[in-house]
Amino acid sequence: MKIWKTLFPVILSAFLLVSVSAAAQAPVALDLQPGGKNPTSPVMGDHLQFWSTITNTGGTPIEGLVAWISLVEIDPGNEQPVDLEDWSAHKAVTGASLKPGETLRTDWPMRLIKGGDYRVVVSVTDRGGRQVYTSPTIQFHVRQKPVLQAGRVLPVAAAIPLLFIGLMIFNNTRRRHGNGRL
Amino acid sequence: MNTIWIIARKESAQMLRSQRGMLWLLAFSGLLSAFSLLLVSTTELSLLDNAQVVYMMAGTVLAAGALLAVILGSDTYAGEKERATLVPLLCAPVAPDALLAGKAVGMLAAWGVMFAVATPYLWAVGASGQNLGAALFYLALFGTPVVLGFGYLAMALSARTGSVLASLLSTVTLLMLAASPLVIGPGLRGTAVGRILDAINPFAGALNTFDSVIIDSDPFSAQTSRLILVTVWLVLCLLAARRSAAHPNFQ
Amino acid sequence: MINIENLRLPIEGKEILKGIDLHLRPGDTYGLLGPNGAGKSTTIFALLGLRAFGSGRISVLGGNPADDAVFIRRSVGVMPEKAGFYDWMIAPDYLKWYGGLYDFAPTKQDVAKMLEKVGLGAEAHRPIGTYSRGMKQRLAVARALISRPKLLILDEPTNGLDPKGRREIHDLLVEFASDGKAGVLLCTHLLDDVDRLCNRIGIIDNGRTRLEGSLGDLLAEQGGGQRYRLRLESAPDTTNLPAGVAIAGREGGWWYVQVQAAPSGGPSTLWHELWRRDWKILEIRSEASSLEELYMSHTGQDRPHAQEAVL
Repeated sequence: MKIWKTLFPVILSAFLLVSVSAAAQAPVALDLQPGGKNPTSPVMGDHLQFWSTITNTGGTPIEGLVAWISLVEIDPGNEQPVDLEDWSAHKAVTGASLKPGETLRTDWPMRLIKGGDYRVVVSVTDRGGRQVYTSPTIQFHVRQKPVLQAGRVLPVAAAIPLLFIGLMIFNNTRRRHGNGRL
Repeated sequence: MNTIWIIARKESAQMLRSQRGMLWLLAFSGLLSAFSLLLVSTTELSLLDNAQVVYMMAGTVLAAGALLAVILGSDTYAGEKERATLVPLLCAPVAPDALLAGKAVGMLAAWGVMFAVATPYLWAVGASGQNLGAALFYLALFGTPVVLGFGYLAMALSARTGSVLASLLSTVTLLMLAASPLVIGPGLRGTAVGRILDAINPFAGALNTFDSVIIDSDPFSAQTSRLILVTVWLVLCLLAARRSAAHPNFQ
Repeated sequence: MINIENLRLPIEGKEILKGIDLHLRPGDTYGLLGPNGAGKSTTIFALLGLRAFGSGRISVLGGNPADDAVFIRRSVGVMPEKAGFYDWMIAPDYLKWYGGLYDFAPTKQDVAKMLEKVGLGAEAHRPIGTYSRGMKQRLAVARALISRPKLLILDEPTNGLDPKGRREIHDLLVEFASDGKAGVLLCTHLLDDVDRLCNRIGIIDNGRTRLEGSLGDLLAEQGGGQRYRLRLESAPDTTNLPAGVAIAGREGGWWYVQVQAAPSGGPSTLWHELWRRDWKILEIRSEASSLEELYMSHTGQDRPHAQEAVL
């Protein structure tokens, strides 16, 4: 009994050590590259292409693979994750399976909606795993261009029709009081 | 000159005081407001640069101005005939040319009001970009002969046919034909037929000028051939109007 | 003021006027009579230079409408058949504006006075679009008069007016013509208007002048005056008739009398006078007037039914 009490922690530690070692070997290899036709100095409105490769470097198949692209704005003072709603219609790959040694290549198209400095990364996890694996990041700069300023447009768009409605009411009132003057 | 001014004043007052004129201006400002709001609220359109947007808005103002000129022009003689106000006007000591000129000045005033209404919209969409001043200048310089030309053409048909409907249908059809190559797209416009049409179409001439000046920042010297085109258009339409107005259909 | 001789005028290849003669002197009130489509309005438009004529001679106020239309129209006030106005304007502004086309700027007082004269003073503040048809007719008369013309041309001026309105228009025309220098050309098919207002008439039919001349002379040639038939209680004293009245016959209990010139107080004055002379009148019916006979005989239409009045 005393022997089991002594041996149990040793066996448990060994088991944990094996598990950690196994995890530290990362069963997927990720890479992210910019598309060959990307403009060298992109401006707002341009389209960029990225592509990633996800390889199963482990010994067992990966089921229920989920890979997604993330974008972060890194302008000083303006660091924040970017909602890819308008930037990209292709934000994730789901439900893929990878046999050991198999590679999945995915293209990630993107429309540049706003100017600034950004970093893009692809992340991967699977159904059974508890780890999230990330690709190397790519940093790029989007040049600003002069576009509409809503702050100018909205007051004008509202005020001018209202002005004419007001004039019509004024004219009608004058007409009712019999003053169709030339 | 006095009678021209008297008639023009009445025409302008009719535009600005009558329910119909006000409704037109309201519809026009509504159109520009809807266009502007679409530009800021739609992602695709909000990515257009200022110059592109100013060009599109200038084209819209030109089209609306030409449409108004056609509507007013069709009403000048035939509408007055249908309302029984033409004969009293013809019985007054007003020379046919003076009557035509008075109505044209009234139409010009209406275009001026439309231009004034459009200016704040153009400023709102284009102030932070390039060539806003040039856009306004060329809209006035090229837009005026195109709009007035369509107006004169409508007046010619109005005087000749004595029917607002006939005149309106004919001139609106012609206006749509003039605008149609622009709707077709650059592919077809690049063909030989498309280029010929562009060369004789005053509407296309004005729009191409806006493109050249606002987007490409080309100088005035590059616009001279198109300026000649719109001027010739105006003169031809004026001659047609004078001929018809000399003996209008009044019974 | 107007001299037209053998005027021919085609429209779109069809000859509308085939020989019109018209002579209007200063001081004349000329009634141009004719059925619908006779060419009355076309003649007016030719006078004003709005229709080019084919052949013949026209002189209006010393000018030829083909060359001097604007000059002629400066001195002519016109009331066309269809009185159209800009409904959004008020009458004073409209008259001021219209007067301006004649190089004559009527003052506010001129306009107010004119509107009072035509009976529209109280309606001056209302847009013209709210006016009744009769009110628009009166405004049309005001429009014709506002420029102080030398020649007034009116096409069916009393159309659509009630008897009171017609009388008011008549009074205006009489006042206008009273100076003896202005001329009035009245186109109408209402014989009563011509009878009351005109001293000269022209009858046109199918584009031709059938008859023209002084009304008095023409009626005198015709037999003149107005014819009545009377039913009497007893035989009258035919030797004691008022001046201007003649017996025209007797038939089946009816006595026919010819009245040369209507008395100033109207026919009722005449009946009272006859009654005083023992004509016991039981029933009076008017027969077609001489002017009507003149008109009918030169325009080839059927005779209308006789009007009736019973005492």
